[in-house]
This record gives sequence, C-alpha cells and structure tokens, in this order.
Amino acid sequence: MVSQSIPKPVPGNINSIAAQYARAKALKDAEDEAKVKDILKERGLDTPKKPWNPVEELNEKKADYFKKEWGWVVGVFVWLLFIHASGIYFFTKGFLLTRLVLDEKSSCAEPPIPLLSSFPGVGTPEAGCWHPKTFEKAVVIIIDALRYDFAIPFDKISEVESYSGPRTPQAFHNALPFLYETAVKEPQNAFLRPFIADPPTTTLQRLKGLTTGTLPTFIDAGSNFAGEAIEEDNLLIQLRDAGRRIVHLGDDTWLALFPGYFEPNISRAYDSFNVPDLHTVDNGVTKHILPLLSPEKKGLWDVTFAHFLGVDHAGHRYGPNHFAMTAKLQQMDDVLRKIVAALDEETLLVVMGDHGMDQKGDHGGESDDEVEAALWMYSKKGVFGRTDPNYVTPPPTAKIRPVDQIDLVPTLSLLLGLPIPFNNLGKPIEEAFTGKRGSVWDSLAPVLRMAAAGTKRYQSAYYRARGIDEAGIKTTEGSPHVLWARAEGSPSSASKERYQAFSNFQVETLRIFRDLWARFDAPCMILGIAILAAGVASLILYANENAQDGPEVDAPELEMAQRELDLKSLSNGDLVNRDESTSRKVGLAALTGTLIGSLSAPIFAAISGRVTLDLDLLNVGVGGAAIGGLLCVIFVEASARTGFSNPMPTTIWGWLAFIFVVCQSVGFASNSYTIWEDSILLFFISTFGLVAAISSLRIERYTDRTLGVYHSVVFVALGWLASFSKLCREEQMPYCQSTYYASATSSTSATWTILIPFILAIGLPAIIKSYYDGSRSYEGFAPVWIGWAFRLGLILNAVYWIIDAADDGAWIPSVSQQTLKSVRIPIAQTVFAMAIGGGSIAFGYAPPCVSISTTAAPTPSSQMVNSAGATVTILGFANAHGSRYFLIIINIILCVVMVQETMGAGAIALMAWQILSLLEILDLNSLTSSPIGPVVLALLGSFHFFKTGHQATLPSIQWDSAFIALHKIRYPWSPLLVALNSFGAQILAVAAVPLVVLWKQRPRRKGILRSVATAMAWHITYYAVIGLATTMWAGHLRRHLMLYRIFSPKFMTAAAVLLVVDIIAILVSLTAVRFNSLSIAEVFGWA
Amino acid sequence: MSSTGQPSPSKFSLPIELLPTGLAPIFTHIHPVLLLSAYYLRFPALVADPTSTLLNSLAPLAVVQMSYAVICLPATGTSPRPPKKAKPGSKKTNTNDTSSAKPLTAFLALLLSLLSIPVLAAIQVLFGAPITTHIPQTLLSSAHLALLAVFPLVYVHGSSSARWREIISVYSPIDEVFGAAVGCFVGAWLGAVPIPLDWDREWQKWPVTIVTGAYTGYVVGKLAGGKLLKGKRIELD
Repeated sequence: MVSQSIPKPVPGNINSIAAQYARAKALKDAEDEAKVKDILKERGLDTPKKPWNPVEELNEKKADYFKKEWGWVVGVFVWLLFIHASGIYFFTKGFLLTRLVLDEKSSCAEPPIPLLSSFPGVGTPEAGCWHPKTFEKAVVIIIDALRYDFAIPFDKISEVESYSGPRTPQAFHNALPFLYETAVKEPQNAFLRPFIADPPTTTLQRLKGLTTGTLPTFIDAGSNFAGEAIEEDNLLIQLRDAGRRIVHLGDDTWLALFPGYFEPNISRAYDSFNVPDLHTVDNGVTKHILPLLSPEKKGLWDVTFAHFLGVDHAGHRYGPNHFAMTAKLQQMDDVLRKIVAALDEETLLVVMGDHGMDQKGDHGGESDDEVEAALWMYSKKGVFGRTDPNYVTPPPTAKIRPVDQIDLVPTLSLLLGLPIPFNNLGKPIEEAFTGKRGSVWDSLAPVLRMAAAGTKRYQSAYYRARGIDEAGIKTTEGSPHVLWARAEGSPSSASKERYQAFSNFQVETLRIFRDLWARFDAPCMILGIAILAAGVASLILYANENAQDGPEVDAPELEMAQRELDLKSLSNGDLVNRDESTSRKVGLAALTGTLIGSLSAPIFAAISGRVTLDLDLLNVGVGGAAIGGLLCVIFVEASARTGFSNPMPTTIWGWLAFIFVVCQSVGFASNSYTIWEDSILLFFISTFGLVAAISSLRIERYTDRTLGVYHSVVFVALGWLASFSKLCREEQMPYCQSTYYASATSSTSATWTILIPFILAIGLPAIIKSYYDGSRSYEGFAPVWIGWAFRLGLILNAVYWIIDAADDGAWIPSVSQQTLKSVRIPIAQTVFAMAIGGGSIAFGYAPPCVSISTTAAPTPSSQMVNSAGATVTILGFANAHGSRYFLIIINIILCVVMVQETMGAGAIALMAWQILSLLEILDLNSLTSSPIGPVVLALLGSFHFFKTGHQATLPSIQWDSAFIALHKIRYPWSPLLVALNSFGAQILAVAAVPLVVLWKQRPRRKGILRSVATAMAWHITYYAVIGLATTMWAGHLRRHLMLYRIFSPKFMTAAAVLLVVDIIAILVSLTAVRFNSLSIAEVFGWA
Repeated sequence: MSSTGQPSPSKFSLPIELLPTGLAPIFTHIHPVLLLSAYYLRFPALVADPTSTLLNSLAPLAVVQMSYAVICLPATGTSPRPPKKAKPGSKKTNTNDTSSAKPLTAFLALLLSLLSIPVLAAIQVLFGAPITTHIPQTLLSSAHLALLAVFPLVYVHGSSSARWREIISVYSPIDEVFGAAVGCFVGAWLGAVPIPLDWDREWQKWPVTIVTGAYTGYVVGKLAGGKLLKGKRIELD
C-alpha cells in the first residue's frame, strides 16, 4: 500500500504517524543499543549486566503478559478439543459400536470340544464334521423384508389377546399362505417361526449376520478396513472350503460381500438399489432358479442362495398396505409352491426374511415391525420334529417362540455337515435337530453343546484380542463361565436340564456381546449431542465476548500517551495487561468445572451403586468432567454478558456467515444436500465473492476499489476453476462426471495432469511473491523461503509424481517397479524433512520479512530521517505480521501438496491463491474482525476437501497415500499421511485463520492474540456446528434407509474434521502465532 | 462503510419517482399482476420445454417491460418533478421529454440491457451452472433477468458511470426499480435452493427454479422497494 497523502488512517497504511513513530523508536533503540555496545566493547566490558532500561523492561513485561495470555488461550482451545472429543465419544459409543473382526476360522477336523459320541466318517465334510450330515444340498431363499405377519393368516393374528391392530385384513395379510399351511399340514417336513433380526436392519448388515452368525456393527474393525468383503469366518467360506459349489441369484449385495464365491455361469446378480423397479430382480430369480432344480442341472451346484427384492421395494415405494404388496406376496407364494414341487429329498429349502418393515414400509432401525421377519424351513425327508406337540402350529405373533437370525448359521452348518463358523453366537434351531422320534432332548443336547463350545471359544479369543481380563468376571454368579461349568458338569442322563443349562449359557453370552456391540444407546447419544451443543454455545459466547467492535483505529497520539502511561505505571509497579481476552477467566472456569465434575460424578455414581465396572466409572468421570466444565464456562460467560447484548449477527456480513453455517447444517438433514455438498459450497463461496465485489465497489479510494474488485473476481474464478476437479460419489450419478482420476473405474491420475506439479513449481511461488510485493514484504527470509526452498520442494514433488506416473503407466519397462519405488520414496521423505523439520525450525528463528536500509535516495515507501541525518527505509513494515506468519503456510502447502494426487495438488494451489485473495479482500473491506473471514476459510477448507478427490464416504479415503513416503505401513506415520491427505484442505484453512488478523498488520498492534483467538473461535464454530448438526441428524435418522450410505459417513467425516481442526489450531496456528509475535516484537517492541 | 453517516444529496442519487401522470400509478400496479399471471399461465409450458418457452416469451416480456418503462418511469435525463434547487450542471431538459423520444429511449435501453446477458450468464456459471451443457437455457434465463432487472435500470439511469457504480455496489437508494432489481437477483439466488433435492420433479430442471425465483423476487422487491423501504440504502456493515 503506497500512498502519498494521508486523508485518514487506514489499517495497513505504512505512513501513519504511529508507524513512523514506531519505526523511529525501534531504530533509535537499536541504534542506542549499538552505541552502548560499541562503547562497552571499547572498554572491554561487552558482557557485563546491562544498565537499567525502562523501555526494555516494559517490553520484557509485555512479553511475559503475552506468554501467559497465550497459555490461557491455548488452554481454552485444549478444553474445547476435550469437549468435542468427549461429545463425539459419547455419541459414537451409543451410535456406532465397533467390533473387532477375528481372523480365526473353524476347521472340520477340530471341533471346539471333543464329541460325546462318534459316527462313521466324523471330521470329514462328506459325512459331517461335528455332526452327521443331514442334507446334501440346500436352497436358501431370502425374501427381502418378509415380515412375520405376512405369513400368518389374519384370523390367527386377530385371535391373540394383545392384538390391537385393524379388525379387517390388510393388503399384506393372507397373500402368502403357503408357509403356514405346510407347517401345519406337514410338521415333519416344514416349520415356521418368527425370525428376529439384530438392528441395524439394513440388508447389507443383515447378510453379514445371516452368514457369519455374529452381530454386525457399522464398523467391523478388521484387517481390511477399506473393502466391503466379509473376511471373518462365515457359512460361505466353510462351504467353499468344503468344496461345495455355490450359486447366487438376485440382489447384488452378495457379490460385494462374497466376491468370487459363486459359480460363474449359472449365478445371476441384479442391481439392488433400483427401488422403483419391483419386478426385474424377482422375475430374473424366478426364471433362473426353477431350471436349477431340474434333474439335468441338479449336478451343477450344491447350495443356491436366491435373494428376492420385490417385497422390500414394494414396501419402500408403496408401503405394506397396498395392492402392489398383495400381488408381490402372491407371486412369492406361487414361486415357492413351484420350487417345492421341483424339490428332491436330498435338498433342504430355507425361506426367510432378512428383516421386516415398519408401517411405511421402510426399515433400518430397531422397531418391532422392522426386526420381526419370518423363517420357514422345508424338506421332503421328514426330519423335523417338535419338543412339544403344541409347537406344531406356528406362533400367531412374533412375540412367541422367536428364533434369532444368527441361529440360522449353526443350524445350516450342522445340517450340511460343516463346522460352525468360528465367530458364531447363535444356537441351533430346535426343530431341525429334534428328529421324528426318540428322546428329543438326547439328540438336542449334544448339538447345542457343540455350538455353545464354539461360542465359548470365540468369547475367550475375543477377550484376548481386546485385552479384556476374564479372571475378574469368572466367578461372578450368572456369568457365562459359571453357567458353562454348570452345564458341562450336569449329568449326561438328564438331557433336558443339560440342554437348558447350555441354552442359558448361550443366552447370557449373547446378551453380553449384544451389550458390547450392536445397539443404539439413546441416552448415550443424547449426552453426546448435549455436550456438543453446549460446546457450540460456549464457543460462540467466547468468540462474541472477545470480538472487537471494529478494526482498531490508528491513533498515534493515543498510542504515545498510552506508552508514557505504561512506562509510568511500570515504575510505580502497577502495570496491568489491558489487552487481556477472557481466556483466563474461561480457562479457570473450565478447569474448576472439569475437576469438580470428574471427581464428583464418579463418586456420586459409585455411592448410588449404578456403576459396577471400572470402564463405566471412567465414562462417568469423562462425562462429569465435560458437563462440569461446560456448566462453569457457560455460567461465567453468560453472567459476564451485559443485559441486552445480542448474540445474533448485526451486519449483513454477520448474517452471511450465519446463513452459510446454518443453511448447510440444516441441509445435512436431507440426503440430497449431503450428496451435493460440493456444489453447495461452491455456491456459497461464489456468493461471498459476489458480495465482496459489491462491497469493494463501495470503497472510496480508486486503487483500493480496483484491488478489491480484482481480488473478489480472482477469488470466485479460482473457486470455479477448482470445481472441475471432481470425484463423484455413487449417488451423484449420472449428473456428475469424475475428473479426479483418469476414468471412473481407475484410481490413477490422467496422464496430462502430470503437468500440474510443474506448473505449480513455476507459478505458485511467483503468485505468492506477487502478494508479498503488494506490501513490499518480499524481504528477509521470504525470497529464499518462497523463491528457492518452496520451489525446490515443488520441483521434487513434480519429480516424485512423474516417477509415480511412470510406474502406473509402465513407461519404462526396463526399470522395475521396485526400483522406481525406492527412488521416489526418498524424494517424498526429503520434501517432508524440508517442510516439517527444516521449515519449522527456520520458522522459529526467522526474522520478520522486512528490510531496514539506510539510503540516500528517497523512495515512496516508508522512510524517515534518523538522528544521523540519513534516510532510513523499512520495506514490508505494513505487513510485518502477515508476511512472516505466511511462511508457515508455505510449509503446510508443501506437505499437503506432497500427499495429493496431481489433480489434488492443483486444487490445493488454487486454494492457497484463494486464501491470499481472501486476505486482501478482508483487509480492503475492513472485515478483519468480522466472523465472515474465518467462516469463509472454513468453507474453502470444506470445499477443497472435495476438490482433492474426497467425499464423505468411507470408500473415498485414499489409502494409497500412506505409501507416498513409506515402503510399508508404519505407525503412527501411515495414518498421519492418510489424515494429511484426507483433511489437507481443512488443515491448510485452519492454519491460515490467524492471517485474517495478521495479514497487513503492522507491528506493535494491540490485542493481536485476542483477535486471533476470536477468529479461531469463529472458525472452529463452523466445524462444531456442522459436527453437531450431522451428529443430530445421524442420531435422528437412525432408521433412515440411507443411514449407512449417507448420514453415518457424513457424521463420521464431520466429527473427524472437527477433531483434526481443533488439534491443528493448537499445534500449528496458535503455536505459530506465538513464535511470530515474539519474533516481531523482538525487532519492533510490544504495543 | 466509511461514509454512511449522512450522504450528501449532491453525491448520492435520490430514489426514482413515478411519472406524475394519472396512468403511471395504475399501470405500476397492473405490471406485477401482468407478469405473475403470465408467468403462472406459461409455467406448465416452461416446465415441459424451458428453452422454447423462455425464447418465445422474451418478446412479450420486452413489450411489457417497455410499456411499464414508458408509462410509469422517468426516462434517463429527464426528471418527473424538477428538483426545487437546480443542480449545478444539470439543466431542465423538458424539451426532449416528448412522447416520441421515450419509446426510443426505451428501445436503446433495451439494446443496452441485452449487453448484460453474457455477464449474467457468466455469474450463473460461476455459481455452479453447467458450462458444457444447457447453454441455451442459461443464456435465456440471463436474458429474462436482463429484461426484468437491468432494462428498467438502464431506462431510468442511462449510462452514467457514477449511477452505475452505485447500482452495482447495491448502494442506490431503494425505489421500485432498484428494489425490483435487487429482489429479482435475490430471488434467482434463492431459486437454486430446490435444485439438488431428489424429488425427481420436472420443475427442478434447469433453469426453471431460477427463473421462478427471479420473477417472484422481482415482484416482491418492486412492491417492497416502492413502498416499505423507499429511500433507504443497503448497508453491509
């Protein structure tokens, strides 16, 4: 900013009297010091104690104040990190229970417990592994969403005393009578029972449960996190290992879970998510299943899985009480009759629903209607029995004699002569093993004992893997161990009691695992949401309280008078820190509340006897600490507010920030707005740019106006340019075309994009330099840092990616992949060493980017005549804070660019450029104390998250980035690299937040730390509100069909981003501000 | 902003007043009704075939807007009520305020306002409108925006750069012409809201919602600008 006349002081005007004064002062100080030193040197006294200097002491005092204040600010943000982490922890604990996937598999020859009686061929799949094989073949039919009452005659349902539904049959009643009829007419051949699903009742999760025999959770944390394929032991693995040929027909979810399992020529998969289409899948399955049962094709397969979707789709589209449902169920009835007619004696037929549906026909949650499916088993062999003659009639409601869906796995395994999968928790279904005659209990007890032994084996393996100590719970009355000992110890003659005892063991073990894994825990989720909401409230109060009304006005006289006053009060010994933020107060309140809460809550809980386990006590302590801290902080902040102060925005800029945050948060309740988040962010970013252009046009001074409009246009144009980098999520098809990779089916960059890193190496340093030139700040370390080190890093990055492209494209066949890898990985490591190692140290010691020179020729920049009469020029004075702080941003750009594909590197460069233009816009329009700057930075961070090839979905995580700088997975570096790749844009944005305050900031500006803390609080508020909103929606929509595809991943992304931003804010932004301020003050003194 | 306190009348323009004829106040109320009812009637056709409907309705829209301008608005360079104190440098120009000059001014204003179409289309593209496809739709919706919002402004304010700087920086005093223009653009902005929803409705197609928002916003802004907010200015901070 060069100006000849000074109509009024504007921020950044380097010719203001204050600036001149400061310069004079600094120079004078330096000169005086030098003189003193010279004199001392002459007398050989250059290291003795310095003479008392009040200005120096004042500076020391102020440096002390700054450091203390900084400590409290960091304290507040650390506390906020704790609040966010604990809120997310409690919500997640209630919402996404994780389960460890164990790699062990059952084997045919090794039963978990020795068999009580042997049979010929025991331990071979031909005769039966752990139990004599009953059936050679099986047809397993899944009618998606077959609710139990669909299969029960309406008059039987309405006879039940507790029945309170409609008095006349609904559209779904009596349309599928075949199952009930056969169960009643031929009890030896068929039985029908309620089949209870474990929530979440979505097809994918249900199929996992139905094939593994365990309870699925959202995250099955196993060795292969990225893929969907089931890796833990399951029915299909056992079938395949035993050499059985498996056929699949219908829903293509099976292919994702079991890739390569199915006989290629006779299996047929159909798209599962085309909900409006009721018939394609069903007709396809029907067409292909009947020929398979014919004598000619019988020999081609052993087990067939057929998955009908029409009933489910009819439910989603029309709801159960619709004639389309009647037609669909009648069609199923007809198909089943045909299949039964074609069935031979050696084949077992199983028909089941994987879940039910609620009254609107949707599912996913845990309501009764959603979990109550039907199970019907049929064979012409007549092997099914009942433990009680009354059980011949199927139960009229699903509340009576239900079986768990996981019970299917041990039942099918044993009937087909296979070992029970290792992680099975189910118990064999009675009817299948009771037999037609003889003592039913004699045949049942050994079967259950075998399944129970498997469960016990799994339990110890799981506890071992999780590091849970079993010793403490071994002797507790009612624990599985005690129940097991009792069952195993009971006399083998009393089969019925023995069966009951094993059954008790199974039920209790299942209960414990269920507690551990797969249940929405509403109070826990609400606690998490409450903590996050209170966190947002205290964050907004904190930001509001520390916000200044407007940009600080330069008043040189005032400043000089203040300085005199400071010196006076220093000699009187009553100097106070006038620029204090409320951080100390808030920090103390948080500390007090946290201590009280963390101590009192566990004590209270222990006394009231509600908690027994150590783990619970820890949770209570964390919850107490969070609630206590929040209560104290909000109380302190709220009581400090003066009567009528308004937390709502008061300017259009404030409203704009408010609208950006709130509209997006509300939008995340809709799957469409979640899917199209990237477009919405571009819309908001362009809106800001347009308003910035309008605002800039209002600036009086011509040059400033032109610059303001120019930067606004640049800001919008760059955002738009970046929007061409897209990685579309599945739901965006067909309206979106991915450009991030070479093609939709590839995960390597297009060849032309190899130009991008080279363009960056040439262009980006030059662009950054041009922004430094505006305030003549390309001084000090800046030329070396930006022009040489940064450029070198970018060139290395370009070399890395060209080698990577050569590897991907096999351009140089004579060089092996291994060689290329061993060349390029050290390059990446060098870049990181430069940026993080060298860069951080250099940043700590770098002088301000100013140049103080004594020249004879007058220049239009800041100049003055010093005591010696020479003209002294300080270049870069007006941007002393910003130009130095930006050096750390350069390091971060380098790190982030290094871990992105070429396209993502381009996006990050555009983002860096946008940030610079944003800073100019904010400065020119005097918006540095408005929340709009930090919020737009957050928008930029979120926007470029998408532009670096990410989506709020698990499959879009770029796992490959772990190998950019490493040969193999190494902790903690590999996850850090993936995090840097995923959240690079947000990391860059949060690191740039202090620049909102620091850019174009002269030295000796008061209250910088306070302004930085405010800006940071606004920035984090954005992510905290988004985090809170997505959390609330995920919790609220936990029954939504799209929960696991859209809302859960969005919540997880938002939560991860919030924590990452919190951590970077402390570790990078605030830390860098400390070094920066100390370094500037060392040269120019404190305000 | 720096000079928000009391804008001096010499520096800032005054709100537009309607022509002091008997017809002006009547037609200015018929005008929005005409626009909205015509829009309502053409809406099914717009949804069915946006391109041709938008194209075919351009001429009628131009006629409506030109009649509105000629009947109700003071043409550029004229002043319906001569200011009490003659401004330095501005003479009374009643001589060219003849009935034949006004349609000519309107026609010139129409041509000038068409120049804004590429700019408006570019802004839509920067906000995320498709650039490789749907180009006729984007251009036509820009043409409608130009006729609705830009044309009356050109007719009233001419090509005075000071006036236009004020208009582009949205700092003109609010009157029914400026209010309508602001309303039109805000409406078009809000019109983007329903586009991403997965309701699979025909009317969600580009640029139906934008044009709908523009028409609605135009009428709302015109009413609010002419009555409620007249003479006020939009402050950003």
